[in-house]
Amino acid sequence: MAPRAAAGKWTLVQPSILPGFGLTFGFTTFFLSALVLIPLAALVSMAASSHWVDFVHTVFSQRALASYRLSFGASAVAASINLVFGFILAWTLVRYDFPGRKVIDALIDLPFALPTAVSGIALTTVFAENGWLGRYLELAGIKVAYTWIGVTIALTLIGMPFMVRTVQPALAEVQSELEEAAEILGAGRFYVFRRIILPIVLPAMLTGFALAFARAVGEYGSVIFIAGNLPFKTEITPVLIVIRLEEYDYHGAAALGCVMLTISFLGLWAINHLQSWRRGRFAATGR
Amino acid sequence: MSITLDQITKRYQGAPVVNDVSLDIGDGEFFVLLGPSGSGKSTLLRAVAGLTGVDHGRISLHGRDVTHVAARRRGVGLVFQNYALFRHMTVADNIEFALRVRRMKGSLRRERRKELLRLVALEGMDDRLPSQLSGGQQQRVAVARALAHKPEVLLLDEPFGALDAKIREELRRTIREVQRELGITTVLVTHDQEEAFALADRIGIMNLGRLLEMGRPEDLYARPATRFVATFLGAANLVLARHTARGICVGGDPVTALGSTSQPATRDHEVVAVLRPEDIEIAPGRHELRSNFLGLGTVEQLLFVGANERLRVRLNNAANAGRVVTSADSNAAEALLEVTRTQHDRRNYPVTTGQAVTLGVRRLHVLATPLSSFTACATSDAQAQALTEEPLLVQLAGRMKTRVSTRVEPALAQAVEAAAPFAGVAVINTDPRAVNTVQWLLQHGAEAVLLLPPQAPSPERVLIHWVDESARRATLAVSASLLRHVSAEAVYVGILAEESEANRPVGLRALLDARSEAQAIHGLEIRTELGYGDVAEELTRRLTEAPNQLLILGVSDISVLTQRFAALLSRTESPLLIVWQPGDLPLQA
Repeated sequence: MAPRAAAGKWTLVQPSILPGFGLTFGFTTFFLSALVLIPLAALVSMAASSHWVDFVHTVFSQRALASYRLSFGASAVAASINLVFGFILAWTLVRYDFPGRKVIDALIDLPFALPTAVSGIALTTVFAENGWLGRYLELAGIKVAYTWIGVTIALTLIGMPFMVRTVQPALAEVQSELEEAAEILGAGRFYVFRRIILPIVLPAMLTGFALAFARAVGEYGSVIFIAGNLPFKTEITPVLIVIRLEEYDYHGAAALGCVMLTISFLGLWAINHLQSWRRGRFAATGR
Repeated sequence: MSITLDQITKRYQGAPVVNDVSLDIGDGEFFVLLGPSGSGKSTLLRAVAGLTGVDHGRISLHGRDVTHVAARRRGVGLVFQNYALFRHMTVADNIEFALRVRRMKGSLRRERRKELLRLVALEGMDDRLPSQLSGGQQQRVAVARALAHKPEVLLLDEPFGALDAKIREELRRTIREVQRELGITTVLVTHDQEEAFALADRIGIMNLGRLLEMGRPEDLYARPATRFVATFLGAANLVLARHTARGICVGGDPVTALGSTSQPATRDHEVVAVLRPEDIEIAPGRHELRSNFLGLGTVEQLLFVGANERLRVRLNNAANAGRVVTSADSNAAEALLEVTRTQHDRRNYPVTTGQAVTLGVRRLHVLATPLSSFTACATSDAQAQALTEEPLLVQLAGRMKTRVSTRVEPALAQAVEAAAPFAGVAVINTDPRAVNTVQWLLQHGAEAVLLLPPQAPSPERVLIHWVDESARRATLAVSASLLRHVSAEAVYVGILAEESEANRPVGLRALLDARSEAQAIHGLEIRTELGYGDVAEELTRRLTEAPNQLLILGVSDISVLTQRFAALLSRTESPLLIVWQPGDLPLQA
């Protein structure tokens, strides 16, 4: 979409046979501005309007630092768990036909549809010290509720559908002929998986990872019940922001928001970059 | 032998897609499996590669039984129709894949890769990705990749299917050269007869899961044994003719054309003759003909003028000639003959549409099939019409590309002399008094009689039995002919009077004889089963055991039908085909 000279006049786009570019591009800009850019700009300007000493004090307080570590750490762990188990789920759904496959396929989307607070309450019921599972984990010396493990479990549940739904179509695209060709050339099952299937679905897995991670970082509802929100221990950044808001410290909340915004953006940008680098390496011209 | 297939059967949901295929392919041979889509040829290839298991039979590669060996240990190379290249790998990585799996050293790998790329004329393409290559180049890479680990057998599954005509020819030449250079045993699957002619040392033709015929391309073209092969390999006019003591009569006069290989007729009967379009001559009159007179005709259509001229000519004495079917148009009910002429012939004798011409035939080939045509016989016109619409008869006649005529014969009920002799297979409805009708029809010229219960489905299993040994030859010939046109399993049922240790070897020998004769003379693979007790009772029991069965029963003494099989013929719910081979061959006019 580089600007180019056409009949002495500068235009933004190359002429296309599809009409309506002006209209649709206008809509796109309007929606992005109204829903994303302007609110975010307001957030940044709000944070910027406070004194820099206050800003640094809020952002680098011990409590805030602990919350970043938990938020981003638990999200990364949750997304990694989804990377492995979400793949296995997608694999099962794509590759095998078994009674109840449709039901399981529908269940995958449930975390999308449920209010996250409901998931949180449900998880707490199960994993609390006297809950169905928590009781036995307690015996084994593992405490789930009110620890970082509980936070991670909640974030894993929330991110799972993103992973499965991005990997599924990519897996379905791996033609069985490719595997057959590799098999005839002498490759064993694991070799075929490592050298043929994995490279093909890796971009989709990275996208799924990015989506699950992004979702987990922003999650609030499901975590607050199971985390217990103990400062320095099980308090995630979104909770801290809400606490600041309840204290009418709008500038502090905005400052924390800006930090999350920056880190999330950098993370997503890195993953996108990694993907385009891979694509450039394996398929110079588009498929 | 490089590849030996022994009675391979593969079923999908009960229906056989590969049906009792046995095949030997020699070292270094280029074998082409040819057939229409859905004929089972690709399934057979996948079975050889080890990608599909078989339900029955054995596969050996170089004398090693690999029936239960995994694909990766079979030592074969396979090329897919859609290349199946690993798109995330470069050409070099694709070709070296099999070598990496085998942990070959880097320098040796590179050397082998260079050698393979030279072989398929793609030097210097090492670092390209498949998406940067054209379709033809991609398929060359696929061939190189399939050959990397020096397989003993190369399998190609419609490798030219996705390519355009010019690239196809180029790649065809490359594959032929590579095959010659390496001397590797190769099996190629295709539906394109031109491809088969261009590449094959031997062709095997498949239809409905059966391997119908195999042989050198020129032999199959000149002397096909079956209707399917005659029309699938090149164009052919199938003509119903009469085989008499004087020769083959297509029209009124006998044609004693060269190449008609059949023996003199012992009994005047109907046969199917193959006339290749290029073997038919057109002349202004009988005296100008340089070949045997065939009949008088009218030019109906001039189809195409290029290197060759193609015309359609109506045979005027078609009433006697019966139905003519060309492979181009199997539904043509009229006697239209397809003729091709060279430009030279065209200049000597130009014709226009509507012109009356004299037809001659240079060469004529008679098919060995005893099932030449069907005649639906009934006492009333409505009944006869209903018979012709029976699904099984419609299917058989359609696949055989033959005629179903009707014959209203009041004599059927009274069993007096018929107005004219019958020919081919007579078809009647199942009826309590059928046994007399069958007898009467057989005595009046019918080669065989098909008893059809109403709305009988296509059989899944065909039982074969002959009452005495002198009926064996005719029964097997009819069975083979029928089984080429239905996708059913064939089972010869041998029946012994009683079960005892003493007569068991006798029964088993009869089974082996039946199997080997079916194999040797008709190329038909059959199963064998042994039963005990009264023949009619045993056959009735087997027929009632499972649905969708058809029984072919051969007799040489026609009176046994009334004596022993009256009950079987009258009460059955399955279709029956009765074959009569007269023991003392009475000569009929």
